[in-house]
Amino acid sequence: MAIRHLAAEGFLLSIRDISRQFATKTAVDNVSLEIEPGGFIGVIGRSGAGKSTLLRMINRLVDPTSGRIVFNGVDITGLRGRDLRRWRQSAAMIFQQFNLSGRLDVLTNVLMGRLNHVPAPRAVLKLWSDEDKAIALSALEQFDIAGLAAQRAESLSGGQQQRVAIARALVQEPQIVLADEPVASLDPRNTKVVMDALLRINKHYGITVICNLHSLDLARTYCDRLIGIASGRVVFDGAPDALTDDVARDLYGLEAEDVLGKAAAMPHPQAAMANALSMPA
Amino acid sequence: MNAPSSSSLAGHTASGVNRLREDALRELPHLRTRYADAFRPVTRNGILGVMLAVGLLALFITGFAELGFSFAKMIAGLDQLGKFVILMWPPTPGTMSRFLLFVHALGETVAIAALGTVLAAILALPFGFLAAKNVVANRIVHFLSRRLLDTVRGVDTLIWALLWVNVVGLGPFAGVLAIMCSDTGALGKLFSEAIETANRRPVEGVLSAGGGRLAAVRFGILPQVLPVFASQLLYYFESNTRSATIIGIVGAGGIGLHLSEQIRTLEWQHVAFLVILILATVAVIDALSTRLRSAIIGSRPAAT
Repeated sequence: MAIRHLAAEGFLLSIRDISRQFATKTAVDNVSLEIEPGGFIGVIGRSGAGKSTLLRMINRLVDPTSGRIVFNGVDITGLRGRDLRRWRQSAAMIFQQFNLSGRLDVLTNVLMGRLNHVPAPRAVLKLWSDEDKAIALSALEQFDIAGLAAQRAESLSGGQQQRVAIARALVQEPQIVLADEPVASLDPRNTKVVMDALLRINKHYGITVICNLHSLDLARTYCDRLIGIASGRVVFDGAPDALTDDVARDLYGLEAEDVLGKAAAMPHPQAAMANALSMPA
Repeated sequence: MNAPSSSSLAGHTASGVNRLREDALRELPHLRTRYADAFRPVTRNGILGVMLAVGLLALFITGFAELGFSFAKMIAGLDQLGKFVILMWPPTPGTMSRFLLFVHALGETVAIAALGTVLAAILALPFGFLAAKNVVANRIVHFLSRRLLDTVRGVDTLIWALLWVNVVGLGPFAGVLAIMCSDTGALGKLFSEAIETANRRPVEGVLSAGGGRLAAVRFGILPQVLPVFASQLLYYFESNTRSATIIGIVGAGGIGLHLSEQIRTLEWQHVAFLVILILATVAVIDALSTRLRSAIIGSRPAAT
């Protein structure tokens, strides 16, 4: 009955004491989180902190060693077969390396998001309905890449490919979008384009977004709640304003000065020059 | 725990998401005009594909008809097949001395396969590079090496065996030469194709650092293609163990000679024993080569 209770309080996703071990390493260590519907949640922390594993466990690409994940009152940790596929359809995943099928055209890649809405034999023969094609094309139009629909996915730039991946996620008609470092392989201009696309999914369609981010600046700009992870544990959970530089330093350790983007973090130019010129002893 | 229901998991009930579907359906007529190509039910490629499939099917059926394919004959012959199986049971070599003879011959067959494959690989390596477009730009060299490989490959192992038996006499040496010849052609072609699909970027990296063409091949291409070569080589070794059985029949040494002899003298129990011996050997080679292959390829770091 606890589930009903939580659902009544308005939590969409409830993560309870989940852990994941890889051989001897504990990637995620006893994490509990409640996610409200409609938020844009940033998961931050240094590389290797367990952010990816956490997101992949929600989509069930990785199974938790222990603990439960409850969505709308349904325990999704034990789902199998058709139920599991239905869950994955409603928890769309976006990857750092886009994970598109490079030799297929853009439209077909986006239509992958309709797989769970279409009978398998039709999908395998690529007999998409006009309705599915319309949904895919209008998703592509929103991200200004509908003109590329007939091109091979691998011929697109990184920023364009990530927008194709976001369109694929959107046409799944998901309730939640899980973005795993979506901008880590992109240049600054494409970073903005892609983050804006995610923001549109969140604001225009009201889909909850959970986004792993390395950059604290981006997290502060786009997210309305931040979750800080270090060594697989939640060490911060709150509004972006509440994340002080001191907390960030704890969170990122030696990397802190890089992610904070402080000019003071850089050595003085003359000092750097002296360092570069000095001969090793 | 509740059973998952479509209403709680799938997104249809969420109000926001429906917007995408509604917008798309309202826009459908406009989308249809804007992206006519995407909505075309049959594309030119689709029609060509279907025509090709129909043509191939017709060819397939004609082929079967021409070659006298008949289910009736197969069914009529089934009891004959059954008789052989009964005659083969239980598989046995008969005497201990014959068992040792068989094992010795099997060892010879494996040796023929191993030596033949290694020699073929050594010969095929330079030809593989010469026949690869991305290594040798000279079209004449490219053309000549390709045709040479084609010619060598065009003659089957069995024919090579018959040739070499007449040149160097009966025995395993002729078998080694036969496998070496036919597989130089096959491996050379496979090597050159592996080289042509290699990634250009490492080559560019070596050239950009001032390396020569030889260095580009050695450090840019070779590390990429070696695991592929190794895997092809191991497969050929396994396949050649079977081929070596066949060429034994024409007198090129190994277990094939005994196999044909036992079939001729209708010693079906011995035949069955030999077949099982060969199967076991091929299985062992397959298991070993799987291990060797993963050791050579090594583990790649997973994407983070």
